[in-house]
Amino acid sequence: MITIISKIELEGTDNLKYTDVGHTQDVSVINQVNEDYDSTLGKFIGENKTKLELGVVSISTFFAQTPYVNEARTQVDDAEGLGLIEVTNISQL
Amino acid sequence: MAAPTKGNTTNSSATPGANFKNYTHNHNVGSDGLIVIQLSMTNSRSFTTATYGGQSMTLLYTISRGGLGQRMAFYYLENPPTGNNTLRVNFNSSVWNGVSVHIRSFTDSGGIGASSRTGGQSSPHTQSLTVEQDSLIMTTSCCVNVILTQQIPTGTNRTFTTHNVNRQVATGAITADAGHNAGSISLRATSASGNLTLDRTEIKGLGGSPAASDTDFFLILQ
Repeated sequence: MITIISKIELEGTDNLKYTDVGHTQDVSVINQVNEDYDSTLGKFIGENKTKLELGVVSISTFFAQTPYVNEARTQVDDAEGLGLIEVTNISQL
Repeated sequence: MAAPTKGNTTNSSATPGANFKNYTHNHNVGSDGLIVIQLSMTNSRSFTTATYGGQSMTLLYTISRGGLGQRMAFYYLENPPTGNNTLRVNFNSSVWNGVSVHIRSFTDSGGIGASSRTGGQSSPHTQSLTVEQDSLIMTTSCCVNVILTQQIPTGTNRTFTTHNVNRQVATGAITADAGHNAGSISLRATSASGNLTLDRTEIKGLGGSPAASDTDFFLILQ
């Protein structure tokens, strides 16, 4: 399986915007990307899930400190034609 | 009859953080195409519509599993556009939990057949589905604890994708390529502990008469 790496940014004031930026089959790259996500945006969402659903907290609070985060939690059989670079090192992101 | 041909898959457990989520999926070239999507997420939100390549997908089912706090759904589209297209899932409000997504393409498919759903039961959870000759069966389960197997038929473990979206979800399990004989097929799901659901759907092959080239004959009277 090929894993797609997506860049996550703020869209408007309260939404996430996903843009696919690369693909990889390197497990260490996938783990690094997702560990970074889990310790930043994932942690913020996890701690504020109910408040985000109720609109009491805005996701823009998180992005005031961090412009974007990457995530690698989509797998595809075929990345042909997607126009994405193959990521072999996290420094490419 | 012939079994459907399995095509590409896409799996995701990302958190939408909006009232929709887009997934790029490459549908295979071939006749009698079918694309399906298995979904599971918190039941504090609802699935509203799904589109692929801008075409509306048909909702086969959506069901809330109150005891598990999950909502599961299945959409499909016959003869979808081929190549890379966007599959868009819309929600009734922004979703801040992960959504389990399994998208699979088929060609040579006669569409969706029988489908049945059963809520949480203790492991092993065994059900059945009556299918036509050469059909495939897709299953999905949800559980608080780790899901160990998806057996299609019972006794035959099939590979599946595990997503942790507050609950454990097993998605994408499917019959081996040859398909089933017509009749009632026993299916089983197992978990490490606790109750788990078992939803199953038939993917039909191509029915009808065999090709003319296989059946033409001549009777010569003298």
